[in-house]
Amino acid sequence: MNQMAIAPLKAVAPVTRPNQRALAKQRTREKILTAATLLFSEHGYDGATIRDIAKAAGMSTGAVFASFADKSDLFGEIVAAESKALEQEMLAALDSHGRGCAILAMLDAAAVRHMADLALFQATMSALWTPGLGAQVRRRLLQRSATRLIAEALKSLPGVESSDTDDKNVIAEMIWDGYVGVLRRAALESLTLDQVRGRLAREVGVIVAGSRRN
Amino acid sequence: MLDAAHALFEDVGYEAATIRSIAKRAGVSVGSVFSSFTSKAHVLSEVMQERLSDLYADLASAAPHLKGSTADRCRSLFAVHYAFEYRRLRLFLAYVSAAFDWAAGEGGRAFGANPHLRGMVRDCLESGVANGDVRPDVDIDLVVDMLIGAYAWNYRLATVADATPAQLIDLFDRQVDVIFQGLRPVQQRQGLPRAG
Repeated sequence: MNQMAIAPLKAVAPVTRPNQRALAKQRTREKILTAATLLFSEHGYDGATIRDIAKAAGMSTGAVFASFADKSDLFGEIVAAESKALEQEMLAALDSHGRGCAILAMLDAAAVRHMADLALFQATMSALWTPGLGAQVRRRLLQRSATRLIAEALKSLPGVESSDTDDKNVIAEMIWDGYVGVLRRAALESLTLDQVRGRLAREVGVIVAGSRRN
Repeated sequence: MLDAAHALFEDVGYEAATIRSIAKRAGVSVGSVFSSFTSKAHVLSEVMQERLSDLYADLASAAPHLKGSTADRCRSLFAVHYAFEYRRLRLFLAYVSAAFDWAAGEGGRAFGANPHLRGMVRDCLESGVANGDVRPDVDIDLVVDMLIGAYAWNYRLATVADATPAQLIDLFDRQVDVIFQGLRPVQQRQGLPRAG
């Protein structure tokens, strides 16, 4: 496994090795992203300003604008990276879930990740509804790979597998919307991970039972 | 103050309205706004409650007379909400946005915690249990969350896809179908044909 992963890397490394300037640029971006993630978590999308973010990253606002077009671009970047990481963890849970329900295993992995940083999750959800947010960024926030993974899992769920694609998408959206609702409750009422798991299992139970076509 | 805030939210939008501008419009000091409300989100939640009070007065008298299955009655309740909130879409979206905002403070009543809406959906589910549409071991609180959550989330289609109220209601009807199908008493789900 390791051999396979390393071999192609060696082959392309000399070609893609970034030069010093590109490396410095990359480091700057990362510094900004780290500072911005923290500030968005603390103050929300509206509450965090580019000025604050620049200050926290130890650079000028001009330097921030050299890397990102505006605040929504910066925020979109953070959300995209977060969603990618979430997808990876849900996929890993899918691979190793054994005999249990694949959907619950994926939601569990998502909950573990989100519960570790509920503030960023809240900031994202709140920003999504902010009318001032650009349509393009909003579309980016709504590209939810999670619902795609759930819809995929529905294809092998007894009683649901035969329903048409559009129905599966509606069901997958319902499951993920229910998940978001549970996390919102977790944030506002300080639920434990176990309480979250219990609610998720009951919600998915109702939706899956209601989706079976016999 | 609430009237001034409401008018200001309508004119300039929730984001652009400040506590200072609300105070100015109401002809009071900034301090007296803060003595009644903990935050702007709190003002918004009170404005939204007040806006809905007339609607709820009508609904409360109509709800017991709604016809059809439990799912149908539930659909009717939410269809009224879609039609009503869609008229002030931006304000409603700001309200949902604030529902995820931990800075809303203690005083703010976030969307989803509205006692009227929760109460009506709860009554509807309880009557469903009483007449055998809904299985008796249902976790009513959880299902109320699911229904209100689905209702609110559907509004995202109005923000990115310009969905009309009719499209939102159609989608919600499908979701209600799934949820109530999942809530049927066990013998009904296995044996009897589906109604409608």
